[in-house]
Amino acid sequence: MNWQQVINGLTIGSIYSIVALGYTLVFGVLQILNMAHGEIFMMGAFIGLMMVVKFQAPLPVAFLAAVLVTAILGYLLERFALRPLRGKAGVSHLAPLISTIGVSIFLENLAHHWFGAETHPFPVSFATISYQIGGVKISLVQLTIFIISITLMVGLSLWLSRTKAGTALRATAENIETASLLGVNTQKIITLTVVIASVMGGIAGVLVGMAFNAVSPQMGLEIGLKGLAIIILGGMGNIKGAMVGGLILGMTEVMSVAFGYSGYRDAIAFLMIIVILLIRPQGLFGQSAPQVRK
Amino acid sequence: MADIILNPYYMQIASFILINIILGISIYITLSTGLLSLGSAGFMSIGAYTSALVTMKLGFPMPLGIVSGAMVAALAGILVGIPTLRLSGVYLAIATLGFGEVIRVWFNNLEITRGALGIPGIPQMGREITGSLREFGITPDMLGLRANQFSALILFFILLILVILTVWFFVRLQRSRIGRAYAAIKADEEAAEAMGINTTYYKVLAFAQGALVAGFAGALYAHTTSFINPGDFSYHRAVEILIFAVFGGSEVIWGPIFGAAFLTLMPEVLRGLADYRFMIYGVLLIVMMAFRPQGIIDYQVLDWLKKKVKRNKSASPLDKQKGGDA
Repeated sequence: MNWQQVINGLTIGSIYSIVALGYTLVFGVLQILNMAHGEIFMMGAFIGLMMVVKFQAPLPVAFLAAVLVTAILGYLLERFALRPLRGKAGVSHLAPLISTIGVSIFLENLAHHWFGAETHPFPVSFATISYQIGGVKISLVQLTIFIISITLMVGLSLWLSRTKAGTALRATAENIETASLLGVNTQKIITLTVVIASVMGGIAGVLVGMAFNAVSPQMGLEIGLKGLAIIILGGMGNIKGAMVGGLILGMTEVMSVAFGYSGYRDAIAFLMIIVILLIRPQGLFGQSAPQVRK
Repeated sequence: MADIILNPYYMQIASFILINIILGISIYITLSTGLLSLGSAGFMSIGAYTSALVTMKLGFPMPLGIVSGAMVAALAGILVGIPTLRLSGVYLAIATLGFGEVIRVWFNNLEITRGALGIPGIPQMGREITGSLREFGITPDMLGLRANQFSALILFFILLILVILTVWFFVRLQRSRIGRAYAAIKADEEAAEAMGINTTYYKVLAFAQGALVAGFAGALYAHTTSFINPGDFSYHRAVEILIFAVFGGSEVIWGPIFGAAFLTLMPEVLRGLADYRFMIYGVLLIVMMAFRPQGIIDYQVLDWLKKKVKRNKSASPLDKQKGGDA
């Protein structure tokens, strides 16, 4: 096996994992597919890009701005598209899915309107720096992406398992009524979940912009669809599944390009879930009942 | 007068309204069992490409091409439906979304579909029929029309007849054993199963019927625009079709019909807002879900309309007489 491909696959895969984590957190707590996640991710990428290009801001500031804006977007999403539907009698379980599709259409076209349809390059000051280790070349961009992704994943895992808020989130995911009876402010936890998921999406957006050197209003849809495929692959609402599933998808895509099927690269995610749905519908790590686990 | 009404721009909008109504019906059928499919654009593209290719490469006559497009789409619907329908609604939404993407990428890579370039020069329904009518000695100038006006008019009437037949079929279906099974599954799947309804069978049937109708609409689309490319059948198309049903209402078949007609016409009337059109779509979905999740037209609205029509009827003496005779 070519180690260079493995490095490339892991870099892309770790970003996919973060995107998928955003979906899986919301699904685990609310049993809702947040179809707007991809577009929040895209907004994060654009905010990061604007900070770097328009305001010549250093990369950490760009990340901070993306985090701030996507956190606000996450709050607004929960406040206006999800909360009005919750607990309302006679609302079909498809209603939140459709209202988040509404948010995604709105955000995509807003970005289209503001930033134009074209693909913008994402300039990174250290783009040309790379290290040679054995026969493998690792660029500083790849290294940055990998470190940020791993930190996020480990951080999220620790936060979920070790802190009070994390425990409350897991309790809410397990059973919202029981958690509420036990004194968890579930409303607050739900808002927090959507905000955290959106922030992860925003960070992933900047990372994808750096990795592919491209930001466009359509990127939310492309990566969003892959994130959806990953949570089916890993098991809905399963944290570990999202992480491993993202890495598997990243590796498989890079391999498919290496073997000369680059035209079908974007279809692989879905071919994989069709196979998974046939053999193991609950996903690689899923149990029969979806729930957030450490 | 004919020049104003038969303006090619108006005629094209009218044809698109009719095709979109068929698409609205296709998603209504799957929704009427409580299933959400985001694959309608995929099935539509299968119908469009199949019909375009068999008429152009194999020399099939157009009606046969359209029927085979619909049949192939239905077959794809069964193949996709059987594995995915075992799963809950959310899985189905993602799997069908994924199916649509796989199909689009596939058509983008195939040689026979000319990839992203698309297929131009697909035989156009109106023009073909005008041509064959001419062989029988019927020419446009017998009606005092120009050739393109005549073919647009023929296209419109053919689509109208097909829409009426489709609506009629599914209105009848609703009152049949199958339609009642769909309604029972939508209301409560477990209860329906306990009542002895083979839920898997009816769900796959509804899914295949939805795919059939979407493929049919796709084939009609190909023979109306005479050019298709994979971009015509993207995720956005699937969402647009979903909005027809969500906005118009998915409880009664008149909902998606109203939704398709209204939402196809609206952006044309509000041309100045073209840039904001899709933003308005997005906001519309959010607002609809919060305040009127059942859509504009539901049973109550329909009853109210019926009553109103009845009252108007009884007010006119002619109808009174008719009622007396019966």
